[in-house]
Amino acid sequence: MKELILGVGDLGASKDPGVVIKTFALGSCVAVILYNPATRAAGMVHVALPDSKINPEKTRERPGYFADTGIPILLREMAGLGGRSDGRRIIVKLIGGAAIMDKNDVFNIGKRNLLAIRKLLWVHGLGAIAEDVGGNHSRTVSVKVDSGAVLVSCPGRGQWQV
Amino acid sequence: MIDSMRKAIDEVPLLSPSASQLLQVNADPHCELEDVIAIVRYDAALTARVLKVVNSAAFGLVHPVESVDRAVSFLGGWMVVSIAVADSAARLFQKPLTGYEGERESLWRHDLFAAFAAREMARHGRTPVPAQTAFTAGLLHDIGKAIVSDFLRGTSGRVLNDISEGKMSDYLAAERQLLGAHHAEVGFELARSWGFPEVLQQAILLHHQPELADAEIRPLVYAVHLGDIVAMMGGCGTGSDSMQHHLATGYADCFDLCPQALEQVMLVAQMEFTKAEASLASAKEAGS
Repeated sequence: MKELILGVGDLGASKDPGVVIKTFALGSCVAVILYNPATRAAGMVHVALPDSKINPEKTRERPGYFADTGIPILLREMAGLGGRSDGRRIIVKLIGGAAIMDKNDVFNIGKRNLLAIRKLLWVHGLGAIAEDVGGNHSRTVSVKVDSGAVLVSCPGRGQWQV
Repeated sequence: MIDSMRKAIDEVPLLSPSASQLLQVNADPHCELEDVIAIVRYDAALTARVLKVVNSAAFGLVHPVESVDRAVSFLGGWMVVSIAVADSAARLFQKPLTGYEGERESLWRHDLFAAFAAREMARHGRTPVPAQTAFTAGLLHDIGKAIVSDFLRGTSGRVLNDISEGKMSDYLAAERQLLGAHHAEVGFELARSWGFPEVLQQAILLHHQPELADAEIRPLVYAVHLGDIVAMMGGCGTGSDSMQHHLATGYADCFDLCPQALEQVMLVAQMEFTKAEASLASAKEAGS
């Protein structure tokens, strides 16, 4: 299996059945995973922050860093691999968005990321069919392009399928 | 503290003289770039490394930098400290943190991210916080994990269960119960044996309990504490203990932080960390 590794703010899509798309250590970041069963194409974006307005320069350099710029581009990438361009029939899964141990609105970037992402997905007529979000742990996630299977792991907690 | 852990601290090699001097200089809020340049200039190996880093692809300079003065001015004191510490304590920073199920170099990556986050946090202090010292303390705050990790092997799952069931308040408490000392206390012992400046020793010891720091250094220790939390949130933890530590909520007395300000800290720290990591790595590949 070839691995397409995504860093923070990276996004990627593929319909090569031999590829696994993977991103490491999502803390408050969220991996938005898209899978089109009709074209057997999968895509992922590693979102770090909700809103691109805080840094236009970074937005140009790495739009996947922000929910509001990353998701539309990932949808375009998926459309470029075939299938309907409006995003319908695409399966969405969300992984990450962890919080620190204590309730604190300022530090809950994970929650703000998830809110922004769900809103963006809703605008595009999409909603997640599965989520492994929140909690106080960092997650590494991979998606197999051939099947859309999503595998999550975390140090000290093992791995599981979502 | 268990005897074998104390023995492990005693056996850690000393830092290089240049690295020690740079830590002394950077712990002084009034330090000047000239002080840093003077130390680098008299260490040929460090000079070579600094020049390799500044001329690495990560900085994309059109004309190569050939003088120490220009290299240090361009990189800033924090990068020079990072280079010196990375070289001098490579064995500690790069080893896999097996006891935390952390990958090789996860300690270095976490500390480097936390250093930039602590530096950025310093800009939001209600009173002036020395950014250079915050960076240096951030870079060293978790050094105790390099020792503690070896004594925590095979405990991650049990510790995480104990925390989730409320039997332990956080990872720090679990380390203390298992080993008689947690990583911040072990880091403090190491910092003392290495002769670190007092402010760095205290920042290492109290980075999870900044409210216990003396009033004059408390904002600095909070900056390191918050930098540590931001690094964990940013996905640069050290393994199983990531996000398993409490936020010291008294930070609001020292820092003026709204959600957008925190996101800005996260963003800038992430960008600086990525650039620093790439430049240090490519300089290493270039044959240092």
